[in-house]
Amino acid sequence: MATTGNAATVRAGSEPAAFDSEAYQRRLSGRRHRRYIPIAAGMLMVVLMLVCAVLAPLISPFSPSAQFSDYVLEGPGGRHLLGTDEFGRDVLSRIIWGTRVSLQVGLGAVVVGFLVGVPLGILAGFRGGGTEAIIMRCTDMLLAFPTLLLALIIVTALGGSLLNEIIAIGVALTPSFVRLARSMALTIKENDYIMAARALGGTPLRLMVRHIFPNAVSTLVVIATLYIANAIRTEAGLSFLGLGVPPPTASWGNILSEGRQFIKCCPWLTTFSGLSIMLAVLSFNIMGDALRDLLDPRLRGD
Amino acid sequence: MLSYVVRRLIIAIPMLLGAMSIVFFAMRILPGDPCLAMMGDEATKEALEDCVRHLGLDRPLLVQYADYMWKSLHFDFGRSIVFQYTVSSYILSMFPHTLLLVIASSLVALVVGLPTGIFSALHRQNPLVDYSSRLIALLGLSMPVFWFGILLLIVFSLHLDLFPLIGGGDLITVFDMIAEGEVFEYPEDFLAAIWDVLHHLALPALALGLTLAATVSRMARSAMLEVISADYIRTARSKGLHERLVIYKHALRNMMIPLLTIIGLFVAIALTGTVLTETVFTRPGLGKMLVDAIGARDYPLAQGAITVFTMTIILVNLLVDILYAVFDPRIAYK
Repeated sequence: MATTGNAATVRAGSEPAAFDSEAYQRRLSGRRHRRYIPIAAGMLMVVLMLVCAVLAPLISPFSPSAQFSDYVLEGPGGRHLLGTDEFGRDVLSRIIWGTRVSLQVGLGAVVVGFLVGVPLGILAGFRGGGTEAIIMRCTDMLLAFPTLLLALIIVTALGGSLLNEIIAIGVALTPSFVRLARSMALTIKENDYIMAARALGGTPLRLMVRHIFPNAVSTLVVIATLYIANAIRTEAGLSFLGLGVPPPTASWGNILSEGRQFIKCCPWLTTFSGLSIMLAVLSFNIMGDALRDLLDPRLRGD
Repeated sequence: MLSYVVRRLIIAIPMLLGAMSIVFFAMRILPGDPCLAMMGDEATKEALEDCVRHLGLDRPLLVQYADYMWKSLHFDFGRSIVFQYTVSSYILSMFPHTLLLVIASSLVALVVGLPTGIFSALHRQNPLVDYSSRLIALLGLSMPVFWFGILLLIVFSLHLDLFPLIGGGDLITVFDMIAEGEVFEYPEDFLAAIWDVLHHLALPALALGLTLAATVSRMARSAMLEVISADYIRTARSKGLHERLVIYKHALRNMMIPLLTIIGLFVAIALTGTVLTETVFTRPGLGKMLVDAIGARDYPLAQGAITVFTMTIILVNLLVDILYAVFDPRIAYK
């Protein structure tokens, strides 16, 4: 195999050094610490976004809706760091304010999906039988719709607004949470401590709330981090299609979709808004991936 | 085998009906009067009543529901409100564009994603390969297809002027020439039409395909890792088989089975991707039609498009399940 071959050549080629236990330990701990780099990087970006969202009124250089008619479609640099759009609005300020929309929808939708999906999933996994069949058949039906399509249907029916977007994406994420929570409940309920709790006279509700949920929650929260990335991307997609938060509000998808008409003269409009979307999704993906590996390396698949 | 197919069909039918019911009730129960939405607040009372009657909204809900389900199964979605065509004729004219995009982007995704996923699984001991492949896959997963599409447009259409900015190519001519047997009479025209279609297809397929490649690469990687730790691989190695033979003859072939199950999921992702991709590239197709219909509040058209999307996804899943049993006969007996 390749690895043994490499090791053999290294041993043959280099000086026969004595086994350096200290260096070995150092390398080992270095390897252990290296696992935290992606988490730290992801978290740093997430915290940065949170700061942007919370402090948007303080840190954005201009109001996101202020129109500077003398500076229409100005390139990046100078007074407007990331340029201005067709109404002379400052792109940097709009992107900072857009962080609010993305994070609100990303977190809100995942909370909705979690609150609806997890109880249903645990109920299905714990009770089994008819309850499970009904819940899972409904879930399968919803799963036939891809997230964006389901969110699209709901937003079409409800109309585009921040709250409706949260509801739409939340409902679209629910089936995934149901499935995940059910499969976790199925494993957890086989444990001896569940049997013990039951023998002590615990009601099914108590078993589910006090024993199954606490044992599933850490995994569920980690996976939820990955769904935040999904929700943010879906939100941007909906806004891009003109079905998200209505236009005067700054959201990354809105900036991108408005900037589409000006890709020839003013590519900065689409570049910076798209970059924000990608970085936001990427940071939640990196953080979620790394947390999942830490929590349960088996979930990674290798 | 036959009983398995029947069993799968029996599961698929209620799923299809259920999904269609969701579409119907989402459009009807949720607040928002389609007629008011279509005509605006200034519409006269007569016009609104006329619209309600035209859409059949004055009938009892259950009658409307039965009517919708029955007609949908006959592929009859009524007439578009904005365009005076029937919805089904419109869908039929758009479907080939979307199908072409799904096939082309899947090809791109497979050609790029499969080898990279397998390579990164086989060389995961090399930290350089492992980290870079995982980072690239994460980048691909996080790249919104509509942004990637715009970047491609800026570089290849605007600056290098290599590809058209909008449109889907002259697909109708291609079909007409095939239908009327003119292919061999005017081979140059035919080739020109095909070239036109491919020319319009290249960038959208690349944009969607490369973002999908990240998903494929991840799936291929985990499928390969699953296979490579199987007992028969250890057997093959321990009997002294060359590593290349172990990979090509034993690992790759068995990897295809777990990979196949994911194709159903993959088609669903690709179909959703077409909605955004077609919008970015202003390319005709089901997805663009759906977005335009929603924008114009053309309810029959939107409802028809969503129904066709759902039908396609459920059918593909059914097909994949059956194919799965063909490749791995053990499944049918479980």
